[in-house]
Amino acid sequence: MGVTSGEQGFVRGDTGIESVGSLAFGPGDVLFVADSKRAKVVAIDVADPSTEAATGPFDLSDVDRALAGYLGCDAADVAIRDLSVHPRTGNVYLSVTRGAGDAGQPVLIRVDRAEGTISDVDLHDVSFSEADLVDAPAADDPRQDFHLGEGEWHEFGDRKIQIARVPVRLSAVTDLAYVDGAVLVAGMSNEEFSSTFRRIPFPFTGEHASTGLEIFHVAHGQWETAAPIRTFLPYQDGTSILASYTCTPLVHFPMTDLQAGGHAKGRTVAELGAGNQPLDIVSFQQDGAEHLLVSHTTHPLMKIACADIDKQDGLTHPQEPRGVPRTLPDLTGVSLMANLDGDHILALQADDSGVRNLRTLKTASL
Amino acid sequence: MEVGWGEVDGRPVLVVRATRTGGLPAGGEVPAHVYATDSRRDAAGRAGPSMGGRWSELEGGRALAFVPRFPFLPATSYTVVPVSGDGAPVEIVAPPVGGPASTRVVSIDPSGPVVPRNLLRIYITFSAPMSEGRASRHLRVERDESGEVLEHVLLPLDPELWDPGRRRLTVLLDPARIKRGLAPHRDAGYPLETGRTVRLVVDAALSDAAGRPLQEGAVAVFAVGTDLRGRVRPERWQLEPPRAGARDALVVRFDRPLDRPLTERCVTVAGVTGRGRAALDGRSWSFVPDAPWALGTVVVTVDPILEDIAGNSVARVFDRDLSIPDDDPLEPVRAVPLEVALRPASAP
Repeated sequence: MGVTSGEQGFVRGDTGIESVGSLAFGPGDVLFVADSKRAKVVAIDVADPSTEAATGPFDLSDVDRALAGYLGCDAADVAIRDLSVHPRTGNVYLSVTRGAGDAGQPVLIRVDRAEGTISDVDLHDVSFSEADLVDAPAADDPRQDFHLGEGEWHEFGDRKIQIARVPVRLSAVTDLAYVDGAVLVAGMSNEEFSSTFRRIPFPFTGEHASTGLEIFHVAHGQWETAAPIRTFLPYQDGTSILASYTCTPLVHFPMTDLQAGGHAKGRTVAELGAGNQPLDIVSFQQDGAEHLLVSHTTHPLMKIACADIDKQDGLTHPQEPRGVPRTLPDLTGVSLMANLDGDHILALQADDSGVRNLRTLKTASL
Repeated sequence: MEVGWGEVDGRPVLVVRATRTGGLPAGGEVPAHVYATDSRRDAAGRAGPSMGGRWSELEGGRALAFVPRFPFLPATSYTVVPVSGDGAPVEIVAPPVGGPASTRVVSIDPSGPVVPRNLLRIYITFSAPMSEGRASRHLRVERDESGEVLEHVLLPLDPELWDPGRRRLTVLLDPARIKRGLAPHRDAGYPLETGRTVRLVVDAALSDAAGRPLQEGAVAVFAVGTDLRGRVRPERWQLEPPRAGARDALVVRFDRPLDRPLTERCVTVAGVTGRGRAALDGRSWSFVPDAPWALGTVVVTVDPILEDIAGNSVARVFDRDLSIPDDDPLEPVRAVPLEVALRPASAP
C-alpha cells in the first residue's frame, strides 16, 4: 500500500471502508462518508477532475439500472445509500452497495454532470483521513471487561471501586452534516434506544474529541421521550438544527445546545401520521426566505418556512394540521435529496412503476 | 464464439474461445462487450454502458478472459455481445453459491411466552453471518389464530441494525405507535393488542452472508399482556449470595424481564473477573468468577442505561408522563451499586 503523508492528517492508500452510508461534503474536495460497519467517519479527498461548475438542471432516468450497467449487476443488486452534490463542480456523488453479504461491495459513484458519465472513486487508492466514532464497539466481542481498570473511582462504604460507563453502541450512522469545522453525526444503537448526537472537530486529530448530546422532545406538554435521530439538517447558517426521529416528529433545537454537550430539550414543531417516516431534509431560499423540504416514506414532499418554525411554540395540543403550516407539493415518491445549486434541488424519485430517476426540482416552483 | 467461466487469480472470469464460425480478434482488440443481462437496457429500452474490465490472453492466445472491474455476482445472468462478425449475443449465468443451506435462527428474544403490550425490541440471532439490507422483506408479524399479517407493526429500518458480526438483527416495534401522546399512537394505537396472540415469522428466504437461504424459517409466538411501566429499579432485585471459597454463581433475580444483551453489558461485579450471563427469559443474571470468591462483600454494579424489554431504563422511562413524579429521570449517575455479603464457606 503506497501511503504518503498529506495535509490535515490525510494519507494516501486503501481506506479499508467496509460499508458506505451517509455523505456530506466538507471544505474543498473533502467528502465525509459514514462507514457504519467499522463505526468510522472517513474524510475522502475526491479530487474531482472537473474544473468548471456544472450549472442547470440534471436528470438521470432509471438510475438503478444505469448504475447496475456500470457495476455489472442486476438493478436489484444496487442499493443507493445517499446522495450529495459537490459544491465546487456540481458533480453528483452516490454511496452505493453492490450486491449483499460476502459479495457485497461498497462503491462511491461520481456522476459527471456535464458529460452525464458514471465513474467511481477508488476507495482502495485515495487520499483520506478517518475518525473513530467515540464509544463505538470493537469489531470483536465488545463486552469484555469494559468496566474494569478504565473508569472513575467511587467510594462505596469503606472501599473504593472503579467503575466505567458501558460504551454507547453505535451500530448504524443515520445521518451526517458538516458545519463550521465539525462533522455532526447521528446514529442508532442496536441495543439501547438513545438519541446520542456527536460532534467531531475536523481536521480529525485521531483522538476521541467528540461531544455527545441527548435530545428529548415533548409531546403535547405531557410526554417526554428520547429517540434516535433518523435525519437532520443544520440551517440558518448552522445556528439551528431540524431533526426527525424514528418516532416521526420534527424537532427543532439550537446548535448552541449541541456545543454545550449533555442533555437538551428539543421543540416539537410538527407531527406526522402513523406508518410514515421522514427520509431526508434540504433547505432552500425562496423569495429571500429560507425554507425546508422534507421527504417521507409515504407522505408527499413537505415544505416548511423556517420563519414559521421560529414563530411556533412547542406543540401542546393535538391539532389539524399538526404543527407548523406547510404545503404539500404534488410530488410523491421522493426519497433522497441534495442541493444542486441555488435554484435547483436534485431528488431521487420513484415513479408509479417503481423505477427511480434522478430529477431536478426548481426551487422557484416549489 | 464460445463462452464459459474460468478463474484468474482466484476471481471468476468470463472465457471466450474461437469456434468454427467465429474467431477471436487479433492484436489485443476487444472481442466482445459484457453486460449484466438485467441492466443491459434501461426501462425505456435504451442501451446502457457495458461492464468495465480488461481482457487478457489465456492458453497462449487460444482464449481470452474478461476480468471485470467489479466481480461477477453469483447466480446472475450476463450477456456477451461480440464486437464484430455474425456472432449472436450469448447469455450465461454465473455459478450459484455452492453448498446446501446451513444457517438457521438460533434464538428470538424476548423468549416469551408473554410480552408486554409496549414491547419495544426483538432480537433475532442466527448461527452464521447474514446479508444486510433485505431483512424487512422476510420478516412479518401475524395474528396467531388467523394468520392475518399485521401492517406497520415493525419499524422499517434502513440501515438495518446488526451486531458487528452480522449474526444478530435488532428489530424495533414502531416506537411512534408505542409512545403515548404522539399522533401515530393516537391514530393507530399500540402495534400489539393486549389479549391477542401474535407470531413473528422469519422467512427461510432470508439470505446468509454467502447468499444461501436459511435451512428453515423460524416462528416465535407471543401472547400480548399488559404494559410494562416505570423505571427499572435494581433495589427491588433479589440477590443470591454465593459461598466464599468456591466458584458458585452469584445470581441476581429481576422483578421484570430485562433486555438480555443489555443485561450482559450493563451488570457486572466490580473488581472481579468472570463471566456474567443473562437467563434466556431475561429474568435473572448469574456471574461465575474466574477465581473462588473471597469472604466479605462484593458490589454488583448496574449501568443506568440498562433497559427492560419495553425500553424503560434504570435512568428513565421510555415515555415519561410529566405529571407522574415517580417517572422523573434519575440524576446522571455512573452506576448503581448493589452490595452482596458472601456466605461463609461452612454455610449450608
